[in-house]
Amino acid sequence: MEFARLLLAYEVASGKPADREAPAAFRVCEKLRAPLGRLMGFDGFRSLLSRALVLACAQLPVLCTLQIKANGSLGGLGELEAKLEARAIVEGEVVLVGQLLGLLVIFIGPGLTLRLLHEIWPEWKIEDFWQ
Amino acid sequence: MRKRKTPAQKPSKKALPPEKVKIRQLPTGVRGLDEITGGGLPEFSFNIIAGAPGCGKTTLAHQIIFANATAQKPALYFTVLGEPTLKMLRYQQQYSFFDPEKLGKAIRFINLSHIVMENDLGGVLAEITREVETANPGMVVVDSFRTVIRKAKGEESDMALQGFVQRLALLLTSWEATTFLIGEYSEQDIRDNPVFTVADGLLLLSQSIERNSVVRKLQLVKIRGQDSVPGLHTVRINGDGLQAFSRTLGFVGKKSKPARPRRLSVGIPELDKMMGGGILEGDSMLVAGPSGTGKSALATQFLAAGLRNGEPAIAAIFEERPDGYAARASAFGLDLETPQKNGKLELLYLRPLDLSVDESMQEILDAVKRTGAKRLVIDSLVGFEMALAPGFREDFRESLYRMIAALTGAGVTIFTAVEIEDTFTALQFSHYTISFLTDDIIRLRYVEIDGQLRKVLVVIKMRGGNHSKDIREYVITDEGVVVIGPRQTDYVRLTTGLPERIGQLKEKAPEPKAKE
Repeated sequence: MEFARLLLAYEVASGKPADREAPAAFRVCEKLRAPLGRLMGFDGFRSLLSRALVLACAQLPVLCTLQIKANGSLGGLGELEAKLEARAIVEGEVVLVGQLLGLLVIFIGPGLTLRLLHEIWPEWKIEDFWQ
Repeated sequence: MRKRKTPAQKPSKKALPPEKVKIRQLPTGVRGLDEITGGGLPEFSFNIIAGAPGCGKTTLAHQIIFANATAQKPALYFTVLGEPTLKMLRYQQQYSFFDPEKLGKAIRFINLSHIVMENDLGGVLAEITREVETANPGMVVVDSFRTVIRKAKGEESDMALQGFVQRLALLLTSWEATTFLIGEYSEQDIRDNPVFTVADGLLLLSQSIERNSVVRKLQLVKIRGQDSVPGLHTVRINGDGLQAFSRTLGFVGKKSKPARPRRLSVGIPELDKMMGGGILEGDSMLVAGPSGTGKSALATQFLAAGLRNGEPAIAAIFEERPDGYAARASAFGLDLETPQKNGKLELLYLRPLDLSVDESMQEILDAVKRTGAKRLVIDSLVGFEMALAPGFREDFRESLYRMIAALTGAGVTIFTAVEIEDTFTALQFSHYTISFLTDDIIRLRYVEIDGQLRKVLVVIKMRGGNHSKDIREYVITDEGVVVIGPRQTDYVRLTTGLPERIGQLKEKAPEPKAKE
């Protein structure tokens, strides 16, 4: 979870102003969607994100208002924002992204997960976290 | 003064014909496979890796791409409705050849499932073309290609299918990519299939269950423009991925035995004399006899004689552990411990389950190369055969022949012990009918003489020259096998084991008899 928190913080800090309208978790998931969809197919990515959402909902039930669209993107942001304060939304994002990264680590291990993230966020000093 | 030649007078240089194209061969990354393919895979070739599920097709493709892909010439690995990529990566990273550094830049996985599901063959080709033109790959893998074909077959004619395969081959060859299409094809599918007509290379993997063992094989059904090793080759999948064991055991084109071979001591001076001065270097000697006649003692003496002479040695032992083997040699005053520590001797104890004959032969060959061995002991053939998986025993004699031929061809002198039952009607040499592949045969046997079970030996055959025809009695003492006395002339029919005394010689028994 700490790793997800750092990734989200980096995404918030590094995102362009135009990006900042969508929550960081949406942006992270969206950035993961293209390379992971290419790697495992968009159905594969959708399945993985669905599983991450189910696990996240078990931790934070309010996240159940989110949906996963057919193309693997996240929906239901408006409903979530209406229900939660900004701080709670950030916590929800950490939980969801944490579950998604956790699944990747379970399947392909920390090494390959790290490599994948490094390709998407090449400037982010991920190694510092692992060390 | 010498006259300068005018251009017309100069001997005209004969115009050389234009050079033939040189096909670069790519390493497969699979131990033994480069030799089977005749040097590696032809660059820009269009290949099929076929076989039933579980044969190792995907692992083979991974080994090939990990051995060749670079960031400048990456490998594109298209996955289609087969094993989910995450799971593929999960499992494949367990192999030692899997280098995570290569993922992303040198090796790129691209899932084509949605393209295949939503498009016809033209759409699939367009997507592959787009990716290939973008990445400029050196290698392309489609896993599983049969899925692409299966989807298409329901909708498109055979002609369209053939056209697709043809266009794909043209595209990938033009883009200078070496291609591998992976498919769950069996031998039956290969006939009349347009894919196989277009392919330059076809690697067929198979596995069969024989009794309790799984036997994996690889066949290079087709490879254009190369002198490959035909036939079925044993394959093992372990932590290093696939390993192939060529039927030639890696000895193609190796140096031949010395033109003027030396006579080497077998460690028993009297036996050396019987053999015409010792065993010829590079010979294969079979020592046959029943249990307890001293075959292993003779083998250790043969090893020790070589070691004393500065010749490294290998003993492949199957019936005794190395420490026990060395301890027994020590009882004869032979030190096998020190040369083991010095790297001059290796005692190989080969007893894993499901051992394939080619694998065990490879172990021996590796040890021979490692130590530079000049002498090899196989103790014994019966134990060797018993260590093999049942499915491989049928190939035993053939493989043994290949190994002995390969090693003796390289100048290694081989001592093979074989246990046989003594019959009292015939003088058997071996139940393996391998006598033809040995240069020299020594037969040990029991005989009943004067109320004692005594031992005699005879040199049956020496391919390289004359030898003593005497039947000599011997004993095993704390110095090992010791050949004693002159030939027994007091008896006839010694070879039957039940000799008849014809002389009146009052000889003293070589070992004390019990007192009456």
